[in-house]
Amino acid sequence: MKVRSLIIALVIVLTPFIIGIPLFLARSSGRIPARAHLSTDTRKTDNGMTYKGIKIDWTFYPDWEHKPLFFHAEEYLVFMFYYTNNNDYNVSVMPSYAFVSPPSRRYSANEEVSMYIEDGVEKKLKVEDQTPITFEISPNATKHYIVTFEKPHSLGNFYIDVDVFRDVSLRIHYRKRDDKWENYKNEWLDKYVGRG
Amino acid sequence: MFKKIIKNFGPEWGAAVMGTAAICITMQLSSEVARPFSPLLYVGLGFYLLATAMFIAFLIPWTLRFFIYPEEVKKDMRHPIRGNFFPTMPICFILAGTGTNKLGPILFGPWFAYHLSMVFFFLGAIGIFIFGFLLLRIQFLNKDVRLEHANFSWFIPPVSHLIIPVLGACSMDVYWAETSLAPVLFVISMIALGVGVLNFLFVGAAIWHRYIYHGMPQGRLAPPTMIGLAPTAIIVIFLVKFAQAIEASHGSLFGINFISVFSSIKVIAAAFWGFSFWWLILVAILFTDYLKRKDHPLVFGWWAYTFPFEAFVVATGLLAKCMATRFLHPMLITLNILVVVVWIIVVFGTIKWLESGAFFKPQH
Repeated sequence: MKVRSLIIALVIVLTPFIIGIPLFLARSSGRIPARAHLSTDTRKTDNGMTYKGIKIDWTFYPDWEHKPLFFHAEEYLVFMFYYTNNNDYNVSVMPSYAFVSPPSRRYSANEEVSMYIEDGVEKKLKVEDQTPITFEISPNATKHYIVTFEKPHSLGNFYIDVDVFRDVSLRIHYRKRDDKWENYKNEWLDKYVGRG
Repeated sequence: MFKKIIKNFGPEWGAAVMGTAAICITMQLSSEVARPFSPLLYVGLGFYLLATAMFIAFLIPWTLRFFIYPEEVKKDMRHPIRGNFFPTMPICFILAGTGTNKLGPILFGPWFAYHLSMVFFFLGAIGIFIFGFLLLRIQFLNKDVRLEHANFSWFIPPVSHLIIPVLGACSMDVYWAETSLAPVLFVISMIALGVGVLNFLFVGAAIWHRYIYHGMPQGRLAPPTMIGLAPTAIIVIFLVKFAQAIEASHGSLFGINFISVFSSIKVIAAAFWGFSFWWLILVAILFTDYLKRKDHPLVFGWWAYTFPFEAFVVATGLLAKCMATRFLHPMLITLNILVVVVWIIVVFGTIKWLESGAFFKPQH
């Protein structure tokens, strides 16, 4: 191969790494701003909910800021859920999450954004996120799951539906009081499990 | 010079974009395995940007050729091997859409990324369906197609259809779930899936027939053998993404219930992944055979080794999200390294191939 061709080939193969590594370093060194305030930690307030031996706790950041590289920063609603198995047998869980802001706004968790903020959330809470769709929890063990929702403008109240069990789902209610988010109610809602 | 480039700019150049673009997804999946692999997400971003640059650079001469040299395009369309490479450019639109859907939010934020990926979806889907009909019409009407022309590049049109539902499911997964666009995405995806799966079976039988009754093709057609693992790998990707789309729609999408279908999806996806894995070993055996015969020349077609292999790695990463995580995660990391090694070899090979002047002497 001629030297010129060799240089062209080297430039092509090194480009993704030359672009990627500085971006990673810039993100991890915090040069790209990210701010977040903790609003709820049910592990500390003992507000977690238990069903069939599975205790669900959560921490909530109502203003987790994430800045895309080419666009302005946006705030996200970020939850970290903790599933603790208090049974004496293994349990498989397959959680899914929905954000609802009355009267009609309803959407799912955004896994892509979770992926980008994952390291920051994990570092802040000192736990590791479980990415699989399904995961097994051994007795007395806790597994974690980061859930991110896009934050609508002018949000006054909302609830999150956490679907983990076949027959019930957990609804977590929040409202804004004096510029602070308040977790004013948590409830189990029955689900239809028939064939019709 | 530019006109000469346009004249010789064959339909196969989309394969280079495909082979580069899919690495951004293998990197993204590998970055999720454990925290030490997090930088791979940003390397994936680098691959995404490189693939975008290549896509724009190749799309210009590829499109101009239709207007400046329509006779050359017609000649390529009628060619039993080269003709099948036309859908690679529309596939690039779908891959650009998938990359934008996955990595776009880190660059542009979710709103812009998801809307842009929709533009890519519709452009890609239109192109794939048009070329699908055109190529089949030409193939059916062409009296010169013979048994010895059958080769694995014939899988490209079925693969192009199979890739549409992948972006369709990715889009239904997050942003477009429960919007009025979701049924449109679902219908287009299902039509494409049906066309892709059945064409894969029909065309596969024709190629199989040739391999048994006519023998293996010459060495420059060895790389397309790798395309054989792409259809089942892409079906695995679609199935897992579709499961995630159902899950994102609160457990039920168009009456399809997550709990009822997820177990079946896992079984079917695992079986199809197994077929792709088996095919990978078969490719290694045939590759060794070609090497022993010293019949594996340097051709642009080496790019056929990249995308199908990357699709298999993506399938491995997504299957790991559903099952056998402890086994599939180390495999994903190993395969991801291999993917990069293959890509580097092919890039160097392509530059050497260009240096030899073969670009201006297309082989027919």
